[in-house]
Amino acid sequence: MRKPLLILMVAVVVLTASSVAAEVRIRCASTTSTQNSGLFESLLPIFEKKTGIKVDVVAVGTGAAIEIGKRGDADVVMVHAKELELQALKEGWFVHRHDLMYNDFVIIGPKDDPLKIRGLTSAVAAFKKIAEKGGKFMSRGDKSGTNIMELAMWKQAGVDPKGREWYLEVGQGMEKTQRIANEKRAYTLTDRGTWLATKDKDKLDMAVVLEGDPVLFNQYGVMAVNPEKYKQVKYREAMQFINWLISPEGQEAIAAFQDKNGNRLFVPNAT
Amino acid sequence: MGLNLEYIHVSKFYQGVPVLRDCSFTFPLGSSYAVMGPNGSGKSTLFRIGALLEEPDRGEVRFSVGGQLLPQDLHLRRRVTMVFPRVGLFNRSVYQNVAYGLEIRGVGGREQAAQVERVLELVGLAAKKQQHALTLSSGEAMRLGLARALVIEPEVLFLDEPTTSLDPANAGIIEDCLLRLRRERQMTLLLVTHDPAQAWRLGDALLRMENGRLVAADLILPQECLT
Amino acid sequence: MDTVVSGFASAFRMISAGNPELLKILFLSLKVSGLALVLATLLGVPAAAAVALRRLPWRSLFLGLMHTGMGLPPVVVGLFLYLLLSRSGPLGFLELLYTPSAMILAQFILTVPIVVSLAHAAMVGVDPVVRLAALTLGATPLQEAATIIHEARYGIMAGVTAAFGRVMAEVGAVLMVGGNIAHYTRVMTTTIALETDKGNFDLAIALGVILLGISLAINLGLRGLQRLGRVESGVILWD
Repeated sequence: MRKPLLILMVAVVVLTASSVAAEVRIRCASTTSTQNSGLFESLLPIFEKKTGIKVDVVAVGTGAAIEIGKRGDADVVMVHAKELELQALKEGWFVHRHDLMYNDFVIIGPKDDPLKIRGLTSAVAAFKKIAEKGGKFMSRGDKSGTNIMELAMWKQAGVDPKGREWYLEVGQGMEKTQRIANEKRAYTLTDRGTWLATKDKDKLDMAVVLEGDPVLFNQYGVMAVNPEKYKQVKYREAMQFINWLISPEGQEAIAAFQDKNGNRLFVPNAT
Repeated sequence: MGLNLEYIHVSKFYQGVPVLRDCSFTFPLGSSYAVMGPNGSGKSTLFRIGALLEEPDRGEVRFSVGGQLLPQDLHLRRRVTMVFPRVGLFNRSVYQNVAYGLEIRGVGGREQAAQVERVLELVGLAAKKQQHALTLSSGEAMRLGLARALVIEPEVLFLDEPTTSLDPANAGIIEDCLLRLRRERQMTLLLVTHDPAQAWRLGDALLRMENGRLVAADLILPQECLT
Repeated sequence: MDTVVSGFASAFRMISAGNPELLKILFLSLKVSGLALVLATLLGVPAAAAVALRRLPWRSLFLGLMHTGMGLPPVVVGLFLYLLLSRSGPLGFLELLYTPSAMILAQFILTVPIVVSLAHAAMVGVDPVVRLAALTLGATPLQEAATIIHEARYGIMAGVTAAFGRVMAEVGAVLMVGGNIAHYTRVMTTTIALETDKGNFDLAIALGVILLGISLAINLGLRGLQRLGRVESGVILWD
C-alpha cells in the first residue's frame, strides 16, 4: 500500500514539473480573426527555428487583446485597431509600435443584393444607403477591429444605427457573424481574409458587394508591452519578435503566406 | 506479572441519561467473569470503557501491573481487546481480517501467516481462509471476530454477547476455544451472556448488572481459585 | 444535415488514422484533468478522513463549503483564478497564467469539493462497529484512518470518478486561465468550442466523440470495479 503511493507521488511531481518546463516562451495577444486565418501557424515556426523562442498566441477580440497587454499578461500585442493602439501607446502601456501589414475589409451581403449596393465605390455611401433603405445589417458588436471600423463608417455616414430594428449586434467572432448574416439575409462588414477562408466552407449564399475603397484598409500593428509597467514582461524576446516581423525576412514570410485556397491574405507594409 | 483491571466509581452519561452508575470492581489477571443483566443495563458500555474505547464521565478505570499503575496509551490499548455483538468485520478476506492486528503491529511475512493459520485452526475457519469475510454466516462471522481478537494475544479480552444469536454448534466451537485458552494462557476474560449455564461453564465469577449498577457479584467457583 | 454526417465521417477517419493533432490535444486533456484529480485525491481523501473521524470544531463550516463547492460554476472559478494569476494581480509573480499549470490548478479547485464531499459521505457510511474494531485491535489514528478509507474505497472511487468526469467535460475554467493557446493549452473541450466557432465540424465532432468515449470507458471501468467489490462481499444490493 505504501509503495504504489510513493511511485504515484513521484510521478505527480515529475509531470507537474514538466508542465513548468524551462523553455523560452513569450505571449502574444492577438485577435481571433488573425489566428483563424492561419497566419501564426505559418509564421511562428519560422521565427522559432531562427531564434528558439516559442510564441504562445492568446486569441481574443481586439479590445480584450489590448486589455491583456495592459494587464501585463502578454509580452506582445498584435491587433488591427490603429486608433486604439496609438491611444494605449500614448498612455504608456506599450512601446515600439510598428505598422505590420494590412488586409482590407469588404462589405458582403446576400448574393442577389436586394439593396443594390453593388456598383457603389464609396464605402460611406454604401453605409448611408443601407441605413436609408433599412436593410438588415449584422454588426459584430464586440469592440473588435472589424467592429471599430464598422462604427467609424456609420459615424462618417452620419448615421446612428444603435437600436434601429434593422441593426443587429451579434457579439461574436467574424465567422459566426457571417453565418448569422447568411441566415438572416443581412449585410455585414468583414475582413477579406475571413471571407475568403470561409465562404465556401460555410456555404455562404453571399457575395462581396463593395470593396477597394482605401478607407476600408485594415491596418495591423504590433507593439511590445512596456517593461516599465511590468517587470516580468519578456521585453527582450518580445522585441526580437517584433524586429523579426518588420524585417525584410519577416515581411516576406507574411507576403508569402497563403490560406488553404491559395489566397494571399495579408499585404506587409512595415516601414 | 499480571495485568489488573480496576473500575473505580465509574459513571457514564449519554446526553444526560445515566448509563453507568458508580461501578466499582477489580478484575485481577487470569480470571473469567460472566456479566449478566437485562438489555440496556449498561453491560456494553462497561465493556467499552474497560477496553479503553470510551472514557468514563466520573471515576476512572485503572490498569496496573504488580501494583504499578500503567499509563493509558496506545501500548496499553494494544494489550486489551474486545469482540462486539455485531463483530464489525472488515470488507476483506477472512485471512486479511485476522492478519489486521498483526499488520498494524508490523508483523508480516511468514510469521504473520503462521500465526493467522494457528488461530484460524482454533476457530475452525482454516478452510475458508480466502473467502470474503462478509459472505460468512453469522456463526462463522463471530468465530472470525474471535480469531481476529485472539491473534494479537490480548491479556484482557472482552466478549460482548459472543453466542447470543448463535446456534449450538457454533456456540460450542467458541466455548471450546475459550476453554482451551483458559488452560493455555493467562488471560482475563469478561463475557456478556444471557445463558446462566454458559456463565457456569466459562466463568469463575458472575457479575450482575441492573440499570447501570453492578448489583451482585457471585462466585461461581470457590474463592481459593481466584488469584 | 449533411454537414453533420460528413462531420461524423471525417471524424471516424481522423480517429482511426491517429491524427497527431488530435492525439496531442487528447493527451493534454488527460494530463491536465488527470493531474488535477490526483492532487485533489491526495489532499482531499485525508482531509475527508480527518473530518469524518475527529470531532473538529469547524466541521460543519468545512463540509458546508465543500458541498457548495461541488456546484461551483467552472467559468467563475476560471475568472477568479485569472484575476489572481494575472501579472497585474497578487499572484502574477508566479507566471502561471496561460500555462497548463494554471489549468491544473483551476481543475484542482473544481475537483476537491467533489472528492472531499463524496469521500466523506462514503466514510461516514462505514459501520461504526468496524471503526471500533480497528481501534480495539490496536490501530493508531493514522492506521484507523487508513482502515476507514479502505473500507469506504468503493464510495471514494465513485467520488473520484465523478470528479474526473466533471473536469474532463468543463470548458469555462480551462479557457479562462489557459487561453486556448495552440499546441500548448488547448484541450478537447476548448478545441471543440473553437473549431465549432470556425465551422470545422470534423475536428469538433471527432473530439466530441472521443470525449464521450472516454466518459463511457471510465464509467464502465468504475462499474466493473464496483461489481468486483459487490460480488466478493455478497451483499445483496443490486446495481
